[in-house]
Amino acid sequence: MDSGTGRDSGKTKLKLLSRALFAVGLTALAAIIIRLRGSGGTPPHGGGWRELSATDLEPMDKK
Amino acid sequence: MRAILVGMGAVGARSARQLLSSNSISELIVFSQRAAGAEAKVAALGGAGVVRPELLSDASFSEALRGASVVLLAAPGLRFWHAEESVRAGVPVVSVSDDPGDVRKLLDLDGEATRQGVAVAVGAGMVPGLSCLLTAWAASSMDELSEVHVASLGTGGPACARRHHAALREPVEEWRDGAWERKVASSGRELVWFPEQAGADCYRINRPDTLLIARTYPGLRFATTRAAASRRDRFTSWLPMLRPPHPEGTVGAVRVEVRGLRGGAADTVVVGAGGRPALLAGAVAAAIAARAASGQLPAGAGGLASLVESPGEVLADLSERGVRLVTFEGATMSPA
Repeated sequence: MDSGTGRDSGKTKLKLLSRALFAVGLTALAAIIIRLRGSGGTPPHGGGWRELSATDLEPMDKK
Repeated sequence: MRAILVGMGAVGARSARQLLSSNSISELIVFSQRAAGAEAKVAALGGAGVVRPELLSDASFSEALRGASVVLLAAPGLRFWHAEESVRAGVPVVSVSDDPGDVRKLLDLDGEATRQGVAVAVGAGMVPGLSCLLTAWAASSMDELSEVHVASLGTGGPACARRHHAALREPVEEWRDGAWERKVASSGRELVWFPEQAGADCYRINRPDTLLIARTYPGLRFATTRAAASRRDRFTSWLPMLRPPHPEGTVGAVRVEVRGLRGGAADTVVVGAGGRPALLAGAVAAAIAARAASGQLPAGAGGLASLVESPGEVLADLSERGVRLVTFEGATMSPA
């Protein structure tokens, strides 16, 4: 009788542990996906690159 | 003038070519740890000067320092002794290392370099290097500087690629509200539009640009450094490199965003350059080495933003060497 209760208690603990490990694993997986995927980013909506000329590169006080 | 070059990798070879084409260096001694590979690269160099390849040893390096005008350190895994010995001998030092540990050690030479009256140019490659020059040039147009954000794309040779791989997992120091704040590497995704390239996702990386820029402009509120990285780069950053790096990266760019006050209003200047990273780094290293050799840099150790008094002149020099410098004109942010 006693040994049966002990077995049940052990099974419950094992179930709890496996559920906790599963939850931790799931969280880690979600974190990895979010970390790798990232979010945000705004492309420029106007304008472009212009090459700097020799005049641009002169010291500011000479311009 | 005699110049000493330590390291004949992708950046070292580009620097050597640029140094010899400038005609201000008449003799170049190239130290390498692998004589056979270096000799083949030296044989391929053009220019008018005399080039002498030598196997790197402490004795031969000390011997070569006599009569040298500048030492350019372009070997991976900086041996601090070479820089220390050069400063003790009164020879200016230019280093291309992008390892924050190396940069801190070289900055510690400031006192000795000032006493000896020589310059120690720290971080004279693409990032840091070109990034610091672009920052200094853009900052000179501001009345008050508040933020500097550096982003880069691509790597030079294999040593640079290995360093990039490691820097994506190391803790990152960011300058926020006038203090250092520790951040996780590979975090803080930002979509950055580089010159001559499409947009690339950039992430925090352990590089010394932030340190060098914050030292030069202590009144800054924010200074950050990011680098383009793929999912594979970030996911595998904690592992050894899964395959050998490429001999030389073909695609590269640097972008610097400087924010501050101009004429009483908030303003942003975005500047950058595109090209092979080793080529950009080699051009910057050679331009700075030529200036250091002719005594145009002040005594002391520092980044290019602090050592170069007129960054526009150096940038004009780089432009003549084939580096295409650009500025972004237009709106950088959508009105969220």
